Amino acid sequence: MADEFMKGFAILSVGILVWMTFAGWYNTESFYDTQLVAPNPEDPGTFTALALIVKDAALYFALLGALTFWVIIPAGRRARAHYA
Amino acid sequence: MSDSDTNEPRTDGSGPGIVAPDDEVPTWRERKERTTGLSRLTYEYFERARREDQDLRQESSYVERDVLGFPAWPHETIRNLALASFFTGMLLFLAAMLPPHLGDPANPAETPSVILPDWYLYWSFGLLHLDPINPELAIVGGEKIMSDELYGVLANVVTVGAIAIVPFLNKGSARRPVEEPFWAAVGVGGVVFAFTMSILPIQDMFPWAVAITFDLAFFLPLVAAAITYAVLKTMREGYMYDLNRRYYRLRPPK
Repeated sequence: MADEFMKGFAILSVGILVWMTFAGWYNTESFYDTQLVAPNPEDPGTFTALALIVKDAALYFALLGALTFWVIIPAGRRARAHYA
Repeated sequence: MSDSDTNEPRTDGSGPGIVAPDDEVPTWRERKERTTGLSRLTYEYFERARREDQDLRQESSYVERDVLGFPAWPHETIRNLALASFFTGMLLFLAAMLPPHLGDPANPAETPSVILPDWYLYWSFGLLHLDPINPELAIVGGEKIMSDELYGVLANVVTVGAIAIVPFLNKGSARRPVEEPFWAAVGVGGVVFAFTMSILPIQDMFPWAVAITFDLAFFLPLVAAAITYAVLKTMREGYMYDLNRRYYRLRPPK
């Protein structure tokens, strides 16, 4: 059980770190404006568009990964132990 | 320890047959081919280290310790190097990828609109804002006996003094809050008091009356302390019972 927590926590930390890096590059206009969640840059180039996709993927990876290891897998085990 | 003792499993999980003899220790190639993976490898490594440690202790003339210890080299050193490398790498990564903002230079000719110290000093700054409760004494004709500034400084002295006295009153023999609900309540009240005092300097920013914030700053810590005390006192019996049950299951009384 502790292992599952650690896996979920590692996924959450690494995913949010990647998301935060790209959001700091592309979704932060300046220190005094909106940070990290500003709208995407208009007319992004190829690499910027790629980075935006990676950024979103990292966020979904972090949230869904934590959800999987903290909720879905333990709940599945409980259910299997209960119904089997 | 006699031989009959070593043949039965012990409460710390050790026992006979866990560590392979020297001629059966798998090679690195064999270890790599294992499917059970890193956790098993780590387990065997530490089990081996524990066994060596145990043998050394039993051979030596030292009194055998109850504490499980690992040698500084290589165990602790490698682990500490790994941790230090991780945090150094994290620092380098953040400094390179998200360099911190360098603000405009301060203008010495202009007073900022909001004057606040660094966040960890908000509580002390809040204690300087206690002038509404600086008493006006009738005996000196309704005058305040000391200036508001001196009153604020004295409030800091009293608060720091109260915090400094606590370790002399409570020696800290409790291992968890339920064991001493009163002192846990004092602690929670103190933390909440630090928070409410930190709120005081920015009391103008709230949409309700300033007096309410000021009253809450003294009332909330008491409420939090009372709730903590009540909850811990209620938890106490059940928690200690559970703890004792687990303890006696692990080491049954003779």
